[in-house]
Amino acid sequence: MATKTLRVNGKTVTANVDDLATPLLYVLRNDAGLHGPRFGCGLGQCGACTVHVNGEAVRSCVRPLSSIAASDEIVTLEGLGTQEKPHKLQTAFVEEQAVQCGYCINGMIMQAAALLTKNPKPSIPEIKNALQNNLCRCGTHLRIIRAVKRASEA
Amino acid sequence: MNPLPRREFLKGAGALVIGFNLTAARSDRAAAMEIGPYGPPEDQIDSWIEIGEDGHATLFSGCSELGTGSSTGLLQVMAEELDLPFERARLVLPDTNRTPDQFVSSGSRAISAHSRPIRQAAAEARAALVELAAQKLNVPADQLVTAGGAVSVRGTPTKSVTYAELIGGKQFNLRITGKAKPKAPAEYRLVGKSLPRWDIPAKVFGTFTYMQDVKVGGMLHGRVVRPPAQGASVISIDEASVAHIPGLVKIVRVNDLVGVVCRREEQAIAAAQALKVNWSSWTGLPDMKDLHATIRNLPEFPSGYPKNVPGGVLAESGDIDAGLAKAVKTLKATYLSPYHHHGSIGPSCAVADVRGDGVTVWSGTQTPYGTREAVAKFLGLPNQSVRLIYAEASGCYGQNGADDVIIDAVVLSRAVGRPVRVQWSRADENGWEAFKAARISECQGGLDANGKIVAWDARTFGLSGYSRPEYHEPKHGGEPGSLVTAQLAGWTKPGLEEGFAGASNNFEPVYEDVPNKRVVFTYLGPASHRQGPLRLRVGSMRGVGSPDNIFVAECFMDELAAAAGQDAIEFRLKHQPRARGVAVLKAAAEKAKWQSRPSPAPTTTGDIAYGRGVAMLGIDSDTNVAGIFEVAVNKKTGEVKVRRVTIAHDCGLIVNPGAVRNQIEGGVIQSTSRALKEEVTFDRSRVTSLDWASYPVITFNEIPDEIDIVLIDRPDLPPMRVGEPASESVWPGIANAIHDAVGVRLRQLPFTPQRVLAALTGAA
Repeated sequence: MATKTLRVNGKTVTANVDDLATPLLYVLRNDAGLHGPRFGCGLGQCGACTVHVNGEAVRSCVRPLSSIAASDEIVTLEGLGTQEKPHKLQTAFVEEQAVQCGYCINGMIMQAAALLTKNPKPSIPEIKNALQNNLCRCGTHLRIIRAVKRASEA
Repeated sequence: MNPLPRREFLKGAGALVIGFNLTAARSDRAAAMEIGPYGPPEDQIDSWIEIGEDGHATLFSGCSELGTGSSTGLLQVMAEELDLPFERARLVLPDTNRTPDQFVSSGSRAISAHSRPIRQAAAEARAALVELAAQKLNVPADQLVTAGGAVSVRGTPTKSVTYAELIGGKQFNLRITGKAKPKAPAEYRLVGKSLPRWDIPAKVFGTFTYMQDVKVGGMLHGRVVRPPAQGASVISIDEASVAHIPGLVKIVRVNDLVGVVCRREEQAIAAAQALKVNWSSWTGLPDMKDLHATIRNLPEFPSGYPKNVPGGVLAESGDIDAGLAKAVKTLKATYLSPYHHHGSIGPSCAVADVRGDGVTVWSGTQTPYGTREAVAKFLGLPNQSVRLIYAEASGCYGQNGADDVIIDAVVLSRAVGRPVRVQWSRADENGWEAFKAARISECQGGLDANGKIVAWDARTFGLSGYSRPEYHEPKHGGEPGSLVTAQLAGWTKPGLEEGFAGASNNFEPVYEDVPNKRVVFTYLGPASHRQGPLRLRVGSMRGVGSPDNIFVAECFMDELAAAAGQDAIEFRLKHQPRARGVAVLKAAAEKAKWQSRPSPAPTTTGDIAYGRGVAMLGIDSDTNVAGIFEVAVNKKTGEVKVRRVTIAHDCGLIVNPGAVRNQIEGGVIQSTSRALKEEVTFDRSRVTSLDWASYPVITFNEIPDEIDIVLIDRPDLPPMRVGEPASESVWPGIANAIHDAVGVRLRQLPFTPQRVLAALTGAA
């Protein structure tokens, strides 16, 4: 048994896990009670579980707790913005209606947010390259691109 | 076991931590209603609509929201007929204790079919409100008007009474008579507007509760351990193999359904991976390279033809042999399609709470009542002992594992006496969902000296399109036999035998002037059982058989056009589509700036060849679509890039144009993925495309650059299906465009670089 303390969306989260190989995703969902990061494949292939660790987009389904320090800042979709204080990407996704089932959208927004931090005015090919490893099955891609572009121009 | 009175039973489920933005709290009024084995009575206004003391109207929808936005459209329809501001419309999604049975939410029919009773119930509610106001205001009903959730005297808007004042918190207690007349389209102020979807804000802020997020007090986590071969059985289980896993509550085995229950989710994952099960060996699948020959050689299943389609003959006119005899040119072609995964990004998930006094199931099913009855039968309980509460899951696109996983959850919960959440792994989903069926089709046809079709002979060989645990509407109820998990658990009574059902849809060409025609669906048997003819269970996926059928019909049409040396659109028009078909074809051609010329395009130098292709579909009673696809084919690598897609779309009356566009874009992109990349792979024992590396789907760099959409609104017609129809133009449209670009026909999906290169080499 191990106790792990994490900084998540500016708050402290403590989880009791069997071992620190446990992927971050399960602590975020089941201990922190968050709905943003989602289980999609558990293999780091689809991107539905994406969160930020110190501003970098990471796949929380394959990111072991052991690799995260107590000082690391973890931000999930809930921490990126709220209905009252939205991140510009969240506003743009609503404006473009860039969601169908929305199961992948957490990963799309978190991946795009990391992109905009590094590259505030990405071109369409740069947006596509940044989201290349995030899968969407509903076929919302063109709207997602429009939403990221819109946010970058906001 | 006796079902509890409804109120008591609801209290037992009170630990649910779930909430939708627009979901109204359960009112006492709903609890007081008569809830039968298939829910509240469909002929009562109160079953559908409730007006609260605060003036909100709540829709009790029996239609599952599958992530398409259709529930926003249903709310628009209700608010329209009620003359209520949209902001005051609320939604309760399917719940067998609260909502009417609207059968299966499938076939892109949420608006076209499921809005109908809602529209009528709302029209009747509005008429009843006017009657109540007439009494209250002491003014004849014909002098009253409704707007903004209030009834007022025409010309004297100050003399008014709100719906809340009239009936807020009380029941209508009125039957739906069919006498109240819904509005004429000219009166619409909400229907026809691109209102934003109610669910999107919650989805982008992480506050939405998907099925995968449902948590119940005291809930444990389960995972399943599936056989390593489709037909393998348990010989023994080495329980010591998981003794080291902390938090292990129980190893559960019922026949060949094996699972583990743990306190934490990651423990369940670890236990499922570590559990050593000795399975029998089994190698009953065909060799993958022989798949289509195996299908072609299966014996016909004669008893499964629907009564109105004896022998599977969908259409027959004239004399094929005579037509072929007088042809100056004849063509033969064989088309092949593979199995597909639905590919939901979130694997299937369910929560079950099996108690001595009743069972509650949370599920993303498309068939709430049919699946509830299937679960009840599986457990040997009366329907009303099982409550099924719908929660929207990851998009399903048809019958993925959403229903099957319920049996897993029920079996595990029953074994431990606690609520259990079962989340399938990616490999569970890909290995055990209901696949889109593989297909082989054979065509022959002929052209006369004028380049007109004189014979059309098409036959396809397929399985049933239906393996849901639900009877076909209008018969209520369901059976567990179609569920692969029930089969694993030893349930032997077969699932529903529905004949070929939707598998035959749209195989007949849509052109009026095709003489000497024979169109046949050769039925090979039920789809539902893993012991069926091909041993892999198949089920509906985005159009059921339509995408395969239209692929064949519209590719063969294109082959005939090219053989006649005619422009593909002019050739189609010459064979007379119906009026709405002509309209979409012309609208697409105009939007895409289609240049008339025969295919293939003149040969160009350089590695990249460009081409365009067209495909259409549509009958009078359904949505009409014409799609034009512009591709670039790399002659060196065989890679196909879809550059631009133009879709002209007539779905009758449009309820929400923005949502319609979203569905068209999505359908086109998903079907492009299926056209270019997707194929379920398997060895002699099992499916092997168990993750996204072995089953790649389209990525951002591969999607079409542009999708242009022309919406043709037909307020004179009822709303028709949205979602599937546009997607069904994609496979033939791309195949025809590849032919236009490089002069070779791709008759086997997917159009991978290897297949394109092989075709080019063969043509050289």
